[in-house]
Amino acid sequence: MRRETFVSSRGGWALIRSTWLSWMQYRSFFFILAFGWMIPPLIYLLVWSTAAGEGSISGMTRGAFVAYYLILILVNQITYAQTNWTVGDLIRYGQINKVLLRPIPPLYDALSSEIAGKVVYLVFVVPILVILAFVLKPELDLTLINGLSFLPALIFAWALRFFWGYWLALLAFWATRADALLALQDSLVFLLAGQVAPVALLPGALKTLAVILPFRYMVAFPVEVITGQLTRSEMLTGFAIQCAWMIAAVILYALLWRFGLKRYSAVGG
Amino acid sequence: MDNTIIKVKELTKTYRVPVRAEGLGASLKSLLKPTYSEVTAVQSISFEIAQGEMVGLIGPNGAGKTTTLKMLAGLLHPTSGQVSVAGYEPWQRQPEYLKRISMVMGNKSQMLWDIPPLDSFRVLGEIYSVPKNEFERNLEELVQLLEMKDLLTKPVRNLSLGERMKCELTASLLHKPSVLFLDEPTLGLDVSMQLRLRRFLADYNRSSGTTVILTSHYMADVMALCPRVILIHHGKLLHDGELGSLARRMMPFKILRITLGQESIPENGVPQLPDSVEVLEAESNLLNLRVPRGDASAITAKLLETLNVVDLIIEDPSIEAVIDQVYSEGAQ
Repeated sequence: MRRETFVSSRGGWALIRSTWLSWMQYRSFFFILAFGWMIPPLIYLLVWSTAAGEGSISGMTRGAFVAYYLILILVNQITYAQTNWTVGDLIRYGQINKVLLRPIPPLYDALSSEIAGKVVYLVFVVPILVILAFVLKPELDLTLINGLSFLPALIFAWALRFFWGYWLALLAFWATRADALLALQDSLVFLLAGQVAPVALLPGALKTLAVILPFRYMVAFPVEVITGQLTRSEMLTGFAIQCAWMIAAVILYALLWRFGLKRYSAVGG
Repeated sequence: MDNTIIKVKELTKTYRVPVRAEGLGASLKSLLKPTYSEVTAVQSISFEIAQGEMVGLIGPNGAGKTTTLKMLAGLLHPTSGQVSVAGYEPWQRQPEYLKRISMVMGNKSQMLWDIPPLDSFRVLGEIYSVPKNEFERNLEELVQLLEMKDLLTKPVRNLSLGERMKCELTASLLHKPSVLFLDEPTLGLDVSMQLRLRRFLADYNRSSGTTVILTSHYMADVMALCPRVILIHHGKLLHDGELGSLARRMMPFKILRITLGQESIPENGVPQLPDSVEVLEAESNLLNLRVPRGDASAITAKLLETLNVVDLIIEDPSIEAVIDQVYSEGAQ
């Protein structure tokens, strides 16, 4: 990657500000999107906490399910890379020319809308979660180690989800409707990343799959870390697998971007 | 040329285009074993442009103008040949190079749709790392030249097409590029907006010394702005020089418009005209003739002698007519 990547932060911040300004015009649209993303985990929150009743399921009480799902909603919002959906359009409609003609790396464009988007969503989601927490009374045994480990797990989860979706979206250089793969990614996240059920409650084979594949590490893993579901060794293995997938995603992103651009500049936009 | 800023040598661009027959079966087959055909968009063109020149790149749709422009800007990688712009190889897209050029595409916008232009301009200023006071100075100059002070704070989506083009031009010039590529900048604009933008471009080119390469389908743009035109057709360079010399080469004719006195044209036509003269129109006392350029004065003299001429105009065929002939015949 070019050295200038790290030099032009002024331009990057300016991009974030402007994207944010223009997105604030659509606040309500983004609020509706954010609301849509909250609904499935909210449903499963109610299902599992009702099922647990006064007892517990695999050691999780009603309050533990509430805590798990409320944090999951937050993590899901923070890690959801909605920018990935626009990359394909950018390439298909030649708008990417504009990005390519700027003297800063194209990644800045995506990162700026990521950061701008998070701000808009969280303004909406955090107050709702606070209210839900008051009503539903979560139970959380927060240890210092779990709390401190949550932050890197969350950041890696975001990076993994962002770059994973990005490299899928970059397939638009070759195939016109590459965003179908993004929809597939969303489904797998829904299934394997702790939304339908916490990964610990998945049946045998599915659980193994969840642990091996990258999707758990996009959402569920940081939630499991902070809610204390993991033993020390499970946590360390988790971090190792998460980092491995993240590095793989970044490498795939860099390769696809490079070869994609080569192809783009050969066939024209 | 010592102050050459753009050097293009034997530039060629060939696209590989997937060929697909009609129907579901064929499209399934092409999925497994795609076939391609090669299309040469630009074929071995060479030219040099000096710093501060304003050059029109003309040619019919699909001639290879935009492909050429994209290769100069660094968006496309040529199949063969060399390009150097301000000492850089464009397709490496080094940030230092990108800071020295700008490209305006009449059909693509670099403004953010929902926020006022001023905000977009500031972002661009940061992206191009233009120092603060320089940014303010450039902005003020452009705003004044384009008379757009009152547009700065309206959301872009509320602006008209012409107003938006003013913003595009400002946005592309804030970092004072050495080379400006304009792809159809007057597309869809009304006549008076076209005039104003033309005047702006001429003034700006003169005062800043920015090299401008412009493509346009409006010959008026090219006539008003570009002392030099490069004509591309079927990917080949057909003409590099003045528009006027192109006209002379392509159409070695003059048009004579004659108004006669009270008596109209004689019943039996106009006598004593050589075969090379073509009568374009002959109605009551008006007579339009197409005569070979070299014979124009001799024929005029003869007509003045034999007919009662009250008014006589000698003119070149319209540039649109010339261009139409070139485009449709492909110019041998």
